[in-house]
Amino acid sequence: MDIYIAIIVTLVGAASPILIAALGELVVEKAGVLNLGVEGMMLVGAIAGFAGQYYTGNPYFALLCGAFAGAATSLIFGFLTLSLSANQTATGLALTIFGTGFSALAGAPFSARPIELMRPLFPLELATHPILRVIFGYAAPVYFSFIMVFAVWYFLKKTRAGLILRAVGENDLSAHSIGYSVIGVRYAAVLFGGAMAGIAGACFPLLLTPQWAERMTAGRGWIAVALVVFASWRPFRLLAGAYLFGLVMTMELYAKAGGGPLSVIPSELWAALPYLATIVVLVLISIRRDASSNAPACLGRPFLPSN
Amino acid sequence: MLFRLEKRQEPSRFMLYATPVASVLLTMVVGAIIFSLIGYDGIGAVREIFFTPLTNAYKWQDLGVKAAPLVIIGVGLSIAYRANVWNIGAEGQYIMGGLAGTWVALATYGMTGPWILPLMILAGVVGGALYAAIPALLKTRLNVNEILTSLMLTYASVQLIYYLIRAPWKDPMGMGFPQTRLFSEAARLPTVIPGTIVHLGVPIAVLVALAAWFIMSRSVFGYQMKVVGAAPHAARYGGFSENKTIWLALLVSGALAGLAGVLEVAGPFQRMVPGFPTNYGFTAIIVAFLGRLNPLGVLFAGIVMAITFVGGEVAQTTIGLPNAATGIFQAMVLFFLLAGDILVRYRIRRVVANPAAGAA
Amino acid sequence: MPLRLQLTGITKRFPGVLANDNVTFSVKPGEIHALLGENGAGKSTLVKMIYGIMQPDAGEIAWDGEPVVVASPKAARKLGVGMVFQHFSLFEALTVLENIALGMDAKIPARELEARIRAVMSQYGLLLDPHRTVATLSVGERQRIEIVRALLLDPKLLIMDEPTSVLTPQEVEQLFTVLRTLAAQGCSILYISHKLHEIKALCDTATILRGGRLVDTCDPKQETSRSMAEKMIGAGLKDIVRQPGRSMGLPKLVVSRLSTRKAGHFDVAVDSVSLTVRAGEIFGIAGVAGNGQNALLDALSGEIISDDKDAITIDGYPLGLLDTTGRRKYGLCAVPEERNGHAAVGDFTLSDNSVLTARDRLGMVVLGLINSGAAKTYTGKVIADFAVKALGPGSTAGSLSGGNLQKYIMGREILQKPSVLVVSQPTWGVDAGAAAAIHQALVDLAAAGSAIVVISQDLDELLALCDTLAVINLGRLSGARPVGEVSVEEIGLLMGGVHGTTEARDAVSA
Repeated sequence: MDIYIAIIVTLVGAASPILIAALGELVVEKAGVLNLGVEGMMLVGAIAGFAGQYYTGNPYFALLCGAFAGAATSLIFGFLTLSLSANQTATGLALTIFGTGFSALAGAPFSARPIELMRPLFPLELATHPILRVIFGYAAPVYFSFIMVFAVWYFLKKTRAGLILRAVGENDLSAHSIGYSVIGVRYAAVLFGGAMAGIAGACFPLLLTPQWAERMTAGRGWIAVALVVFASWRPFRLLAGAYLFGLVMTMELYAKAGGGPLSVIPSELWAALPYLATIVVLVLISIRRDASSNAPACLGRPFLPSN
Repeated sequence: MLFRLEKRQEPSRFMLYATPVASVLLTMVVGAIIFSLIGYDGIGAVREIFFTPLTNAYKWQDLGVKAAPLVIIGVGLSIAYRANVWNIGAEGQYIMGGLAGTWVALATYGMTGPWILPLMILAGVVGGALYAAIPALLKTRLNVNEILTSLMLTYASVQLIYYLIRAPWKDPMGMGFPQTRLFSEAARLPTVIPGTIVHLGVPIAVLVALAAWFIMSRSVFGYQMKVVGAAPHAARYGGFSENKTIWLALLVSGALAGLAGVLEVAGPFQRMVPGFPTNYGFTAIIVAFLGRLNPLGVLFAGIVMAITFVGGEVAQTTIGLPNAATGIFQAMVLFFLLAGDILVRYRIRRVVANPAAGAA
Repeated sequence: MPLRLQLTGITKRFPGVLANDNVTFSVKPGEIHALLGENGAGKSTLVKMIYGIMQPDAGEIAWDGEPVVVASPKAARKLGVGMVFQHFSLFEALTVLENIALGMDAKIPARELEARIRAVMSQYGLLLDPHRTVATLSVGERQRIEIVRALLLDPKLLIMDEPTSVLTPQEVEQLFTVLRTLAAQGCSILYISHKLHEIKALCDTATILRGGRLVDTCDPKQETSRSMAEKMIGAGLKDIVRQPGRSMGLPKLVVSRLSTRKAGHFDVAVDSVSLTVRAGEIFGIAGVAGNGQNALLDALSGEIISDDKDAITIDGYPLGLLDTTGRRKYGLCAVPEERNGHAAVGDFTLSDNSVLTARDRLGMVVLGLINSGAAKTYTGKVIADFAVKALGPGSTAGSLSGGNLQKYIMGREILQKPSVLVVSQPTWGVDAGAAAAIHQALVDLAAAGSAIVVISQDLDELLALCDTLAVINLGRLSGARPVGEVSVEEIGLLMGGVHGTTEARDAVSA
């Protein structure tokens, strides 16, 4: 019984950063922009969050640092792809290369200097019973990720601003001719995606490993991008997908910790599993016929009004 | 004063080739400023990274050795990107090429003969191509995005190295280090200039670039890659199958990345070690863009990126610049290049006065 | 009463083009005012400035007698200007209700908006389900959304940009009824078109533009179609020259029970199409956009390969299993509707574009290598023979105007001397001079013994050009009829999906 509780708690913790980053990317893609730089923005957010926690010890301030750093990084992408209509795929890759280099440079002075992990949001007394631990045992970003799933769904489906954002992603020229600012809406979406990726990145030192390590997000940003496709741009499916990955990563942790039937399989295979699972998941979703029918029609195309 | 972008009637060929040069120059200027602002010797960093490798004749052989894999992979990627096939898993295909070559080298350990090295190279090429065949299969059969699959396979391939050199391929005399044994003489790439580290891979890289240039500019194959990338619908109308093109693009880019991998493991490394993945596959993406997806351009861009690698190492020892600075300089080059792309299709016009405002 | 809209000296310049040159005219309240001109005459630019999408470089716009600056579409809607776009500004994945909500500047609760939409729909007889996704609607239904969206704002001026180009003749009549009702209520209508008989039937005044300038303002009811056409084009109309006493040869292209699979969710597939085209015959296929024309062209050209080798034959030789390259070798060439990106590659030079379709028929490839000299020579010949305005074979296709690019594409195929040529929308968006040249080239090719299939939404073009006519509706082709023996009403009913002659006649009398 306890082992299952422990697995669930670890799983939720591991899934939350991916979920947060993927929710951001989902909004960006709904606006018709494909930002492949999630991994880079997460790394910049991770080092900013780490530094924030290191200097102030206030994890909320650290998360805020992550959000700002992620948004600032996304602004580079926004300027190149929206203002200068550069190729979105190439710019996203460049952003990841940049984020990797920047975080490594900025993080070099912090190596081997541990920080304090973020504490659970609710008092520990609430989480004494194992079942209650499943509900009350997490730090704030986990609850934030839940709230954001609902918030993103509500925004896209129920609000006028969400309708406009979807319209811009669906048919940019029409949105322009009715009189909406395509570039403005897309900038807002890209900045939101950057902030979410930054928060997601900051979760790595704050929730998972309280030390600075180069490339500590280890491809999770790319998995977040893949999850958006898997979820066919629907927030609640994103939740399910992120937890599936949380489970895979939790199994990896348990296998590495040794013992039990999991350790029969080489640890390298466990480490490779999240990436292989991503491929499997993408294959499964593409076998379903309507998978791409929910994709924003303008995804990845630069907006070029004729005048 | 206002500026306005105005579409050119024809894309500017001058800008097409001037912007890569400008982006490198701009990176030097902006890089010097930024690194000075964050407390490093900015001008020194630019000098060490961009100029020392050129002025110091000792470093030239390093340049050749670093440029060779970048050019070989970059040529393959430039062909794939021309076809709008986004293989970004060249690093993984490079690793698989290296592993396939290693497998041959270990299987023939202790043997001699001139057939061993060609067999290794063949294995490397096939290994890289096969690994790229996975995204090709998934893309053509199930329309799975090749960016994500090729990248995920890269992460997986790194784990494969770790597993192989930890367990089945581990050097029995290695005192527990996770690495293979040193290849025997026949499985090592010979140097072409005695007394230097310049191995056979360097002239191969030049040959690959020249051959690719000829094929891409003159042959129906090159035309097919370009037309599918520029207008897939028109390509189908012209009788070119998109799926076949995706296969060809991924196989060719994978094979070349695999070639670079086997040359690297048989040349500089001469054994498989955990540090074999050196990001050449990712840097080659920058090389392909900086070379304007033209194999001859890639040759020059590969040398430029090799300069930053060698220079980055120099700057690390001489002025204590962290190694990560190289990555930032490389990303900056790509940012400026992408920003400059707009000048190929648009010109900037200064809007002096607004006649509408005057009339109203 | 002050004039509803008064334009004075409106000028708009684009790089290399003077789109509007000192244009002055006015629209009275309740007037249906035609804005007439060829493609590229500057009509769209002019109305974009009235609707605030663009700003004039010089000139003045007055609204109800007051000078105004229309800074944005929002400002235009605030004044009371509504617009129905030629290429609908609709969002396919969204519902009718969501689409209309996007066009409203005020935030209206969904339920209230739906009630108002239903009210407007029943008032004007524009029936639609507000909760349907746009992608599932026909073109005519989509236009109704645009009209309802505009009407909800109680416009004082409604701009209609080429509204009938996608409608069946019957739908056009319904639209005219709505517009006349509106005008009677005092709403002015600015009606953009190049269809002269419609303008004669509907409009009170016509303003004619040519090359960005105003040529004339006239009463269309006092003019003949021909006189207005000549003002629009600026010179005497050129008629198609046909050799007298033409006779058709043996059946050349025979298509039997040709079908395609649905590619996308909202795609219309070809459903068991059969037709026979004789040597020397021009066979026209009419139909409203989105009824399977694209799939039919792809299935004929070889972009979609059939399962049945005998589905398509030329002179009895089966081509069904061949791809475009294979079919070209046997003399079947095709020109799709979309010029840039389908029939030609915008970023490539004209010379490279010739390699796209002419490389095998004209021997431009030797041992896998392209003979660029041969491509250049051939391209030069196309440019010269078809009077393509281009700097030379090295110009990129994207730098050519629509009409010139179309002339190049038609020339590239016709000079390969195909025995069968299939073309879709050969003169869509092309100026009258180029259209006449293209029509003549098609007639000449037929006269030389080729079989030609023309797929077009322009009924006037088909009636002028073709010997035989059939109608495509939902992927199915009606029976073929000689052009002289078929009435416009009959074709209109077929376009609307009423099949069978007796049925059609009943519907007409009813």
